[in-house]
Amino acid sequence: MVRFLFRRLLFALFLVVAVSSSALLLTRLAPGDVTTQLGPFASAAEVARTRERYDLDRAPASQWALWLARASRFDFGDSFLYNRPVRDLIGRAAANTAALAVVALAAATLIGIPLGMFTGSRRGAAAALVRGVSLLALSVPPLLTSLLLVFIASRTRWFPAGGMTSVDALDLSWAAWLADVARHLPLPALALALPIAATFERLQAQSMSEALHQPFLLAAVARGVAPRDLIVRHAWRVSLRPICAVYGLAIGALLSGSFVVEYVTAWPGLGRLMFEALRARDIYLVAGCAAMGGLFLALGSLVGDLLLAAADPRAREAQTG
Amino acid sequence: MAGTPGRAAPLRSARPSCKRHTDVFKSERFLLRGQDVGRGGRKLSVRSSRFASPRFAGALLTGVLLGALVLFLRTRPDEGTSPTAAVPRGGQIVGSIRAEPRSFNRFVARDQTSDLVSLLTQARLVRIDRETFELEPWLAESWESSADGRTHTLHLRQGVTWSDGTPLTSADVLFSVQAVFDPKVPSVLASTLTVGGQPIHAAAADPQTVTITFAAPSGPGVRLLDGLPILPRHRLESRLADGTFAQAWGTETPPAEIVGLGPFVLREYQPGQRLVFDRNPRYWRQAPDGRALPYLDRLVLEIVPDQNAELLRLQSGATDLTQSELRPEDYVPMRRAEEEGTIRLIELGVGTDADAFWFCLKPEVKRRDPRFAFLQRSEFRQAISHAVDREAFAETVFLGAAVPIWGPVTPGNAPWFWPDLKRYPPSDDRARELLRGIGLEDRDGNGVVEDARGTEARFTVITLRGVGSLERGTAVLRDELARVGIALEIAPLEQGAAIQRMLACDYDAIYMRPLWTDLDPAGNMDFWLSSGDAHFWNIGQRSPAAEWERRIDTIMLEQSASLDPARRQQLFRDVQQILAENLPVLYFAAPRMYYAHSTRVVGVRPSVLRPPALWNADSLSVTQQR
Repeated sequence: MVRFLFRRLLFALFLVVAVSSSALLLTRLAPGDVTTQLGPFASAAEVARTRERYDLDRAPASQWALWLARASRFDFGDSFLYNRPVRDLIGRAAANTAALAVVALAAATLIGIPLGMFTGSRRGAAAALVRGVSLLALSVPPLLTSLLLVFIASRTRWFPAGGMTSVDALDLSWAAWLADVARHLPLPALALALPIAATFERLQAQSMSEALHQPFLLAAVARGVAPRDLIVRHAWRVSLRPICAVYGLAIGALLSGSFVVEYVTAWPGLGRLMFEALRARDIYLVAGCAAMGGLFLALGSLVGDLLLAAADPRAREAQTG
Repeated sequence: MAGTPGRAAPLRSARPSCKRHTDVFKSERFLLRGQDVGRGGRKLSVRSSRFASPRFAGALLTGVLLGALVLFLRTRPDEGTSPTAAVPRGGQIVGSIRAEPRSFNRFVARDQTSDLVSLLTQARLVRIDRETFELEPWLAESWESSADGRTHTLHLRQGVTWSDGTPLTSADVLFSVQAVFDPKVPSVLASTLTVGGQPIHAAAADPQTVTITFAAPSGPGVRLLDGLPILPRHRLESRLADGTFAQAWGTETPPAEIVGLGPFVLREYQPGQRLVFDRNPRYWRQAPDGRALPYLDRLVLEIVPDQNAELLRLQSGATDLTQSELRPEDYVPMRRAEEEGTIRLIELGVGTDADAFWFCLKPEVKRRDPRFAFLQRSEFRQAISHAVDREAFAETVFLGAAVPIWGPVTPGNAPWFWPDLKRYPPSDDRARELLRGIGLEDRDGNGVVEDARGTEARFTVITLRGVGSLERGTAVLRDELARVGIALEIAPLEQGAAIQRMLACDYDAIYMRPLWTDLDPAGNMDFWLSSGDAHFWNIGQRSPAAEWERRIDTIMLEQSASLDPARRQQLFRDVQQILAENLPVLYFAAPRMYYAHSTRVVGVRPSVLRPPALWNADSLSVTQQR
């Protein structure tokens, strides 16, 4: 197990370096750089100063080597957009995204898996309706879902129409501040959770349907096991394997932040930060966000593997063997 | 000229027509069909049998009069700063912005949010009223100018203190001028405060008197000082001395360290979320009733990057105002919100900035391009001007909310707009005739004109991705020009990439909206002069590439130095005429500007310049608490 964990950590490190280095080099090589943010009429001296500050006056390889050396000391450089160290920015944004991701994942799991068990084991109008809604949730682009939810929130005022805290949060106690954040979570969490819940439902339904036709379940039926126990205690556990396989990816994707959802709902997370950085060609912020996203993806993948190992002994043997 | 809007400095009052939106839409296509335009947009109907009764008629008349009175009282708060009106005090306004501030030091940051923070927390010696464009005393309560227009003596107000209690003196003004021109400071304000190629010079006769000297006469005169926020010497002198002024007051600075003379002080900046400002208890301005300004206790600016989400929040009442005008596609939903009584919709008048279309005409770069032979002919660009029906263009691109224009100065800039500028009536025949005159005909019958050597008039036009009016505009231009045999292919790019291509002249044509730095042409010399960095079609020429550019250079230098308003007007008309004849940049329509804010906000005096409402933040108040 220790060897397995060590291998995975090495993989995580490789992923972080590869993803962030690629992001840095692609941002550098793409047309336009951060100096265009100074506007079309910035003086040549101002442009030169900015290029020097962000090492854009060096060759791409030299800039990358310099950045990598600094990043190994957890110095990811400065952001042009925010005019402050990237490390501070990605730390705060990652925490916000993590809070959002945990809630979204919990919602997706609690909605998607029970519905998948239901549609995978039943026939009829109710199951068909759930399948239809799932397909709809999968088909609608996140931009539309987010805007629709913001629209609903703004019309009904059931929950805040964006942001992470209220304007009065400044004077709140810690407990009241947490309650305020909780009030702002449903909108972006739902926008993130809906397509993932639909994915879980589809996978769980298919897997459950296959599991119910396994010989050992036919034997259980012959032994007189109650239908409820048959599904919950026997079929479900077997059917979890495909869910666990995508669970890690879902965690990674959620923790990396959703560009669209965070942007539209004004959630100050990693996805929005990355989007703004990309638009401004804020090279070190792009690389820092990519590094954090890569780290989260690797951790998500690790969690998925561990869950799979817990659910299926064959997978456990394959991983540790 | 620059990418961010800034000062406005015409010669005389030019109050744009700011009127309630309801009247405007009677004549616009945005009028909701089948609805009468009463408040709330509902049809008024009265049963004829009751109306016939004199008693009911009398009651109805009384009701109508009372209703009118109520409506009047409900709409009057917009002008609620009159001395007799009881302006509500306290409370907070929640506005939205779409980008983070780059710095709290306006001397080194030119972005709109940094400028807004500076407007809220700092003050200038003089201020240009952004509604009337009149110059008004601000930190300087009076001034005298010498006959040659080079020396200006300003008298500071007595008793003004910084937000930390330190008195304002002439030393602060001298320090601010020194900081702008310090070689170690990458100041973004220096070019605006340079006259005749030399920095302005400041000297102090006593703690309340400052003398500003220009190296040459300047038409705008003291108006230039509207672009200089005064900074506290006692806080920043050491940073200037040790060469770290550019890093001072970065966004990570604890708010308590930032002191100012503006109506608000920064309370907190939460990156990605909001900026919170509290009332400056030592603010020096007073309301007409003698009490201290500002009226508000707090101002919050929520950071909402997406414009759709920003408007939804405004409609829902989550925010009270935004920092940008409405897009044409937003008018109808906002009108509905106005009918519900939550939003006040205002027409600001015709905007001062217009979308522009130009080709790269830099001979050093384009000389080997076979198309340059006809591209550099003014007849070619005149043909384009004839090919575009500007009325139809305004209808399609701006959904009717625009007026046709023939030059860079729009009717929104009334003091400098010249309505008799040379025009190019829409005529495909005339356009084809002009093209034939320079040897361009459709010789191979493929619908695109070519010269005798077979070089087709086919171009790629760059525009900004995701900006609705620009993308619609390029599509309309493509269709209009196709009729006369000029082929356009559209390449929408991100702003950064588009600007880089523009600076390197790595493009055929560009269609985008440059923003004027100043409404006074003397403040936009970088556009007019051939050596200017904003001389789009051929940036930074060592010597004028064309004779007409040389003439513009000569006239503009005289225009900017003249102290005679009439002479300046005449010279600028000549310049506009030369530009209209040679058309290095083509303009088609200037959009009408609309602004929306919550009805709970009182005292808004909207401006066509950004920020539309918060330039006057000290006089804003709210009718009800959140």
